[in-house]
Amino acid sequence: MIALLRYQAALLARSQRWLPPVILYAAVLGIGVQTGQPVLDSLGYAAAAVLPVAAWLVRICATNEPPAARSCVGAAAGPARAHLACLLVAFGTAALLGVVATVVVTVVSDPASTDHRTPVPVVPAGGAGLLAALACALLGTAVGALTTRPLLRSTGRAVPAMLLAAVLALVVTGSPARVAVSDLVTGSQAGVVPAPVLPLFLAGAVAAAAVAVACALTTRRG
Amino acid sequence: MNRELLLEGVGRRYGLGGAPWVLRGVDLTLAPGTLTRIEGANGTGKSTLLRLLAGIDAPTEGRITGRPRTAYVPERFPAALPFTAAGYLIHLGSVHGLSRGEAARAAVEWLERLGAAEYARTPMSELSKGSSQKVAVAQALLAEPELLVLDEAWTGLDTAARTELERAVLERRAAGGTVVFVDHDPRRLAGAPDVTYVVAGGNVRTVTGSSVPREEAYVVVEVQGAPGAEPPVEVTRLAVSVEEPGPGRPGPGPGSLRLTVPATHSDTLLRTLLTAHPPWHVVSVGEGPPATRVPPRAPAAAAVDADADAGADVDAEVRS
Repeated sequence: MIALLRYQAALLARSQRWLPPVILYAAVLGIGVQTGQPVLDSLGYAAAAVLPVAAWLVRICATNEPPAARSCVGAAAGPARAHLACLLVAFGTAALLGVVATVVVTVVSDPASTDHRTPVPVVPAGGAGLLAALACALLGTAVGALTTRPLLRSTGRAVPAMLLAAVLALVVTGSPARVAVSDLVTGSQAGVVPAPVLPLFLAGAVAAAAVAVACALTTRRG
Repeated sequence: MNRELLLEGVGRRYGLGGAPWVLRGVDLTLAPGTLTRIEGANGTGKSTLLRLLAGIDAPTEGRITGRPRTAYVPERFPAALPFTAAGYLIHLGSVHGLSRGEAARAAVEWLERLGAAEYARTPMSELSKGSSQKVAVAQALLAEPELLVLDEAWTGLDTAARTELERAVLERRAAGGTVVFVDHDPRRLAGAPDVTYVVAGGNVRTVTGSSVPREEAYVVVEVQGAPGAEPPVEVTRLAVSVEEPGPGRPGPGPGSLRLTVPATHSDTLLRTLLTAHPPWHVVSVGEGPPATRVPPRAPAAAAVDADADAGADVDAEVRS
């Protein structure tokens, strides 16, 4: 499995297809987050933006390898394990982005509530932002896994489906990503640091199920 | 010893419900140490069958059991990978279970054997079609797979590399591996397959042979090497007995050996001997006594006492 992860990570890193989503994420943060803004608001924004980036990274990883090369790896390691490695690398990259963004945002933001009156402890705020970012990365991985190969193979359908699913995952009531982000926003208004642990677990469960479905279908739908 | 790869009532169709069956009701047994050829017209499902055998596709119905460590060579290998040839082979070697050091050594060795050593540091995107195909062949062979699946793997290779791949296939079989191949050229490995199947009408039918190697017929080969030279490892593995002609027998002199080998593997043995460095001179090839059953891997003392004169003299001329 380590060899597969190393292979998939090298494939992603050397393909340079990771650049557009990373640049987009940096741009979104550059526009939406400014020095001195309330920390929890900015963390919520940074976490929410991880979700579509994670879905995009999954799409990149899943379509990065030419089919013949994928067959060679599939014969050696099993197509399901190969696909699992590719999804894990995409999630790992998205999670890494989320962690870096959370640290930067926590450092540059104002440790206070939305009205700048109640102080907010920096470290717990950063921790809450981290949980929310990971929940969004997990849910984004689920969205990506369900809207690319092997479930949706035509680009014409897969890309709109991915975009729609990513938006829905952020706005639909009850979505772990929405709960985690709105926890941060309401916490900012009240000046209280939330602990979005339950959304993280739910997002983890959803992601595990989505990844299991995608991996199980690799040998059935090519 | 590996287990047999067993297909029971295997069917495959792409898409849902109403899609037509590409293959249906396929029962196959692939034994270790055998070479299997799959034939059939275009679009009959040869590639689908190979993908099922390699585990890249799962059967829609029926089951496949006993798949060992597998490697697959596709027909056209894309150059669109962001690695050098050696870099890619090290990654794939690790995926096949080698350590990075072992994978690096095996990568160099196989690129050399296939005549692509000078491309080891070349980015895959700059390789010609033939050189890419050599990389695809190397990734499959470097980890010595127990099951080797070749889907027109010879396409695009130059003559030397084609011969080398044929030799590698025979070596895999000699080492107890299972090899399955499809190739358009009917002369490919002619005479070598233990069994040939034709895919037609969604099923598989036997053309020749059996998937179990025959053990009744033996061939006795007398060879002459440099005095004191050890025969290649593959040769000792193939032969059921290796003996030096005793002092009382008229032998060709020091360095001569008498090898008893199952008839099915005699071509492989001869090829291995003739391509060894330094090469061995084949003095004679003759049939072993059919009545005597030789237990596999018998010690040299218990060797068949075949009559050397029964063999026709040959002088290093082997079909290739």
